[in-house]
Amino acid sequence: MSLVRQSWLLAKNDLVQELRDLEMVMTAAFFTLVVLVMFALSFAALPAADQTLAVPGMLWLAIAFVGALTLTRIFDREREADTLRAVLTWPVDRVAIYFGKLGVTLLVVTGCGALLMPALALLFPAAEVFLERPLESATLLVLGCVAYCAVGTLFAAGLATASGKNVLLSVILYPLTSPALIFALVATRALLEGHPALTTYLGQLAALDAMLVALASWLFEPVLLGNVVKPVRSAPRRRPMKE
Amino acid sequence: MAIVPLQLQGLSKRFGRLVVLRGIELTVDAGEIVALLGANGCGKTTLLSIAAGLAPASTGACTWGDAADLDIEARRRLAFVAHSTQIYARLSARENLRLVAALRGDVGADPNIDRLIARVGLADAADRAAGMFSRGMQQRLAIARALLGAPELLLLDEPFTALDFAGRTLLGRLLLEERSRGAAILLTSHDLDAVAEVSDRAVLLADGRITAQASREGSESVVSFAERIRRLGTDTRTNAVQELAPHA
Amino acid sequence: MLARLPLVLFAAAALAIPYSVQRIFLHTGIEKKMGTVQKIFYFHVPLAWIMMALAVACGIAAAIQLRRRSQLAESISIATGELVLITGLAVLVTGPIWGHATWGRAWTWDARQVSTGLLWLIFAAFVLLRRYGAAGSERLAAALAVFGAVDVPVIYYAVKIWKTTHPSTDVVGSLPPQMWASLWPALGALVCVTLGLLLVRIRQEQDQAGLDEAWIALDTGGK
Repeated sequence: MSLVRQSWLLAKNDLVQELRDLEMVMTAAFFTLVVLVMFALSFAALPAADQTLAVPGMLWLAIAFVGALTLTRIFDREREADTLRAVLTWPVDRVAIYFGKLGVTLLVVTGCGALLMPALALLFPAAEVFLERPLESATLLVLGCVAYCAVGTLFAAGLATASGKNVLLSVILYPLTSPALIFALVATRALLEGHPALTTYLGQLAALDAMLVALASWLFEPVLLGNVVKPVRSAPRRRPMKE
Repeated sequence: MAIVPLQLQGLSKRFGRLVVLRGIELTVDAGEIVALLGANGCGKTTLLSIAAGLAPASTGACTWGDAADLDIEARRRLAFVAHSTQIYARLSARENLRLVAALRGDVGADPNIDRLIARVGLADAADRAAGMFSRGMQQRLAIARALLGAPELLLLDEPFTALDFAGRTLLGRLLLEERSRGAAILLTSHDLDAVAEVSDRAVLLADGRITAQASREGSESVVSFAERIRRLGTDTRTNAVQELAPHA
Repeated sequence: MLARLPLVLFAAAALAIPYSVQRIFLHTGIEKKMGTVQKIFYFHVPLAWIMMALAVACGIAAAIQLRRRSQLAESISIATGELVLITGLAVLVTGPIWGHATWGRAWTWDARQVSTGLLWLIFAAFVLLRRYGAAGSERLAAALAVFGAVDVPVIYYAVKIWKTTHPSTDVVGSLPPQMWASLWPALGALVCVTLGLLLVRIRQEQDQAGLDEAWIALDTGGK
């Protein structure tokens, strides 16, 4: 069975469950709204020129927060029910688990971003570009979210199986995803300012995405399972005693 | 490519300086049921996790038939019922099973699923959300899920816990049926009577080592075997693995 | 012989450091625009190079550790990770000193400074995870290190892509030969110190692992 099909089955499983009570979607959407209100209150008085600098930050900060929240929630469920370890014993490619979770997280986070962008455009005149150039905005949103979720999914899964604490995820996640978010930030500013280098930035962001996804999926199984290759030694190596 | 016998050779597992398993030697062959006994925290669950491919051994080897590690094809023949039921609460019993069948690539698995649901006695509750089930019912679902692929190697961690008397009888019957089908079964338990009813061999894990074992002899009665199992824990003075002869 | 190598390196550093200090302050000219404070550059830049090299080494060692379960790779990644923190701290301290003296602002928020700070944070998380994490977190820390190493080119790119108040890398290239020449002794001295510390730390981790194995052998041997 192909990797794509297994990833799809696992993602669909999560989505079907989510649609039963909509808990995560509702929480994430509401959280987005709350963050938006906070930003509006904090930055409404900014002059138009400064808004161009502030709006990218607002967008990607909000996405970072929603991303951390979503990842925490997705893997909390898995940890409580211990279902992740069950899937690890099934005849399923472990990387499919990664792509399944990535898909679901991406869907939720991008969905929240799709709420954020128009809302920011309504609140801040400088952000109206999001509505005027929807194709570029959507591309930027998706590419940025992929970069964030690619890394976040790996570490959230690792923490879920290593009986680590949730709080560690935030400690790890923000510094780790910041370079990718900076890329997205610069690209967003380029979009708002009508900078000609936007396409270049988007291209670079896409390349970064490809690399992050490849790296994270390569590391997924070793991180979760400690690489179950048979250990070479059956007796401890004897090391020469120091003089 | 078979994944039995399950062989643990000189297997040790440590977490930092804490050594949980020391030089374990254990073989589970096709058509036998081996019970792993021991006090809480003695390493039974760790051993089972290693046998299920969920954790690597620190030293020594765990082999499944000829294979040194569990790739996807090998995992197709393995089933692990963990101590926690590991079911999806928001899916129904039937959907839980359908998911695994779909992931295994089993087309047209529905009749098989229905049969399994009936076999574990969940026919009435098959379409209810599994989160609504009692712990015992969830356990039955987990067992049904394990039997879905007709596994060659079946690993169960404390499967009799949370089952009522009817459930324990049912599970005992299921395990014996699987054994006669040729499956190799390794289980851990605290329920010595249940163990005596189904197992061919009982092995005691103490201080990270296998310190004693008892094999059921021919037509030995359950009561007699249970009595010998009870006495396994009493003579751990020597480190050599003890074989308790019948009527010793 | 290998055991003596750290001592050799420290001895070499003990000679190289006074020599390079003397050379930098007494025998190299003072830069026209920035004045004497520019001399921090002779330590700041080598430290930044060393930091990035260590970060990449840490990431590579961590990747090997994860894919091959190698104890040596794990020891190397721990040692390099910790040294990233130390050299990173030196870079993050010398940079603002230079910046404050030159442009009047210690922290200019340009991309390169920020990225270096983030790199430092990532490896700080790495060290913390290793020290205080739960049982399986060594692997997670290793994954962290791999991604941290990937961050290094991002730092390099930041100078190229964004307009920044940080001097572009061209500064290094356009120095007169006399100033270039003074960079190498400082670099050499710092590399000796770093390498020496690295070898000591790796040996320490290897010994620790060897002790653990001996402990287990003793334990299981008594079967």
